[in-house]
Amino acid sequence: MKFTWFHLMPYRWLPDDFRDRYHSVWVDVPNAIYEPEAGHVLYNEYLDMLEYADELGFDAIGVNEHHQNAYGMMPSPNIMAAALARRTSRANILVLGNSIALYNPPVRVAEEFAMLDVITGGRLIGGFPVGTSMDINYCYGQNPATVRDKYREAHDLIIKAWREREPFAWNGKYTKLRYVNLWPRPIQQPHPPIWIPGLGSIETWDFCVEHDYNYSYLSFSGYKRAQKMMDGYWERRAKVGASDNPYSAAFFQQVCVSDSDAACEREWWPHVDYFFNKCLHLYPGTSAAPGYMSEASMRAGIVSQVGNTTQNMGMNKTWKELCEQRYIVAGSPATVRQQLEELARSLRVGHLALGLHIGSAPLDLTNRSTELFAREVMPHLRPIYAEYEDRWSARPLPPGRRMAPGAGLPHGPGNGAGNGAERAGSTRPAAEARA
Amino acid sequence: MSAVAASPGPDVRSRVLDLGAGRPTIEVLEAGRGEPVLWLHGAGGIPVWEGALPRLAARHRVLAPLLPGFGRSEGLDVLEDQLDLFLHGFDVMAALGLERPAVVGESMGGWMAAEMAALRPRDVGKLVLLAPVGLWRDEAPVVDMFGHMTHELVPYLFHDQGCEAAQRMLALTGMFSERDDRTPEQVEMLIGLIRGFRTAAKFLFPIPESGLERRLWRIEAPTLLLWGDDDRFVAPLYGRLFAQKIPRARLEAIARAGHLLAAERPEETAEAVARFLAA
Repeated sequence: MKFTWFHLMPYRWLPDDFRDRYHSVWVDVPNAIYEPEAGHVLYNEYLDMLEYADELGFDAIGVNEHHQNAYGMMPSPNIMAAALARRTSRANILVLGNSIALYNPPVRVAEEFAMLDVITGGRLIGGFPVGTSMDINYCYGQNPATVRDKYREAHDLIIKAWREREPFAWNGKYTKLRYVNLWPRPIQQPHPPIWIPGLGSIETWDFCVEHDYNYSYLSFSGYKRAQKMMDGYWERRAKVGASDNPYSAAFFQQVCVSDSDAACEREWWPHVDYFFNKCLHLYPGTSAAPGYMSEASMRAGIVSQVGNTTQNMGMNKTWKELCEQRYIVAGSPATVRQQLEELARSLRVGHLALGLHIGSAPLDLTNRSTELFAREVMPHLRPIYAEYEDRWSARPLPPGRRMAPGAGLPHGPGNGAGNGAERAGSTRPAAEARA
Repeated sequence: MSAVAASPGPDVRSRVLDLGAGRPTIEVLEAGRGEPVLWLHGAGGIPVWEGALPRLAARHRVLAPLLPGFGRSEGLDVLEDQLDLFLHGFDVMAALGLERPAVVGESMGGWMAAEMAALRPRDVGKLVLLAPVGLWRDEAPVVDMFGHMTHELVPYLFHDQGCEAAQRMLALTGMFSERDDRTPEQVEMLIGLIRGFRTAAKFLFPIPESGLERRLWRIEAPTLLLWGDDDRFVAPLYGRLFAQKIPRARLEAIARAGHLLAAERPEETAEAVARFLAA
């Protein structure tokens, strides 16, 4: 198994009476309650957490994209990834944002992902979410009737921009460019692995299969409630003759680890309560603009304006209920090990994205949980699915060819900083020459 | 709503028009005899033949084509933008054999009618706009029809929440609330309702304004604007704005009516329309 330490970056100081006073945590939550100086502390602490995960040997560290959202303060995930790029050295950087239909022209995404891939020496995993209806329709004004079509066109343009070695013209319905000519282009060839987060829409499953992308099911409801959805994904893959490789899927699970089950409840309940009862305070009227969900997905009972929106989200539940129903996997290392093994086997996921920061949790508590996870949980789960090839992780340059910030290459002259004059106009960069 | 359109009413004929290969297939509801009136519906479609429609059909031949996504009409994909939509309106007019007909449009349909009359001024005989959308002023934002639970829209749509039409809409939209114990028939009905909203969203999301104001001077048809005096959805100031910008326009208020005046005040609305068309 592979492990991603995944951050949502919630605002930690929503008022106690948030649910009574405000309509929603998203879209129209007034920024009067955001304190920029508190945000300064948060961003830096949150980046510290991600950097610590890199030190502890997590396979990847992950960020995502939301807009006008008090539980997700990363409107630009690429900025967070850039901040991490030079402060980390081992982990893949999973950028599960860039809702590509939002960016005009979409080659901006191709450029920024290429920049991140080149800076990190090929540690990038790129994400192409369609984006929630809140983000893309209500906050960013995309037309719900056409946004999936626009998404597909943006996708095709980005992939072509990464693959082509000569300038080309793109006459799309949504984007028209006379000259597409990507500088830089990514280290990973033909492009970084792509993960597609979804909430279970059938179109997204098919899209992942068609392009051999990782399907990342990002749920806040825990693995037991995800069974039907993940079964649907595997059935769909089987039906079209795709492999059942567990690494073609990722699952997001919120996890907290303490020395004992009792200590875990004592230490984590206030922060878990904050998440489920404040951060998930959502207004159903903006959960799905008309046309955002396909009719097939609505019929399949996907959460939407037709289905319910908050009943299954974990609000108003006790610690015991949240644990028993696995909204969270929480307790001693032994408890967490046992439950995550069950998760891995029942959902058949090779990539586990861990929400090891939850709600209002502070830095020290989060780091303690992260450390316990890395030392006492991760090694036990690693062997699961070891017999499968993971084709959905990044393929970075070997360490000997990767720059360390401020220190050049680990060994070997000629490739480090300062020899640009010798290089100019002479040979190609090492990566290409050796590829 | 469209799912219940199968039985619009006893005196209403329904047929499906094939506009040709690569073009939409359109259900048309028709009733009454006399001078033809082309009725362009609002974002809720025409689930039941009621309100001002049957009253107007007592004096006119009323033809009400449904946009793709409503009723049995299909082919939204080929209407890629607003120009396609307006030209589609003329295609329907031609397929129905109508020449310079009177066009009545309600809310979204009023916007479409006004755009059509500005695009081809000589092809619209008379124009009646029932509280159309299409203009924007920051001081009076048009209510976001795509960003509410559907039942929450009812107070914006009616002057009197207790009126029959409001109560019926509440009963229907109550199914949108947070429940998941619906029957398959109810699910299909809600999907049908969303299908219609999707069509509306394709042309009006997120703000129902795309330059109509600078085109209104082109309208040549004599125009009647009807507005509920208690329209909380599209404020009456928009009525005054339309009346100022359309050269031959008259604005009349319907008393004690909200946005859906044809549903809430059917007698008064039909009477005002018929009087204007007879003049």
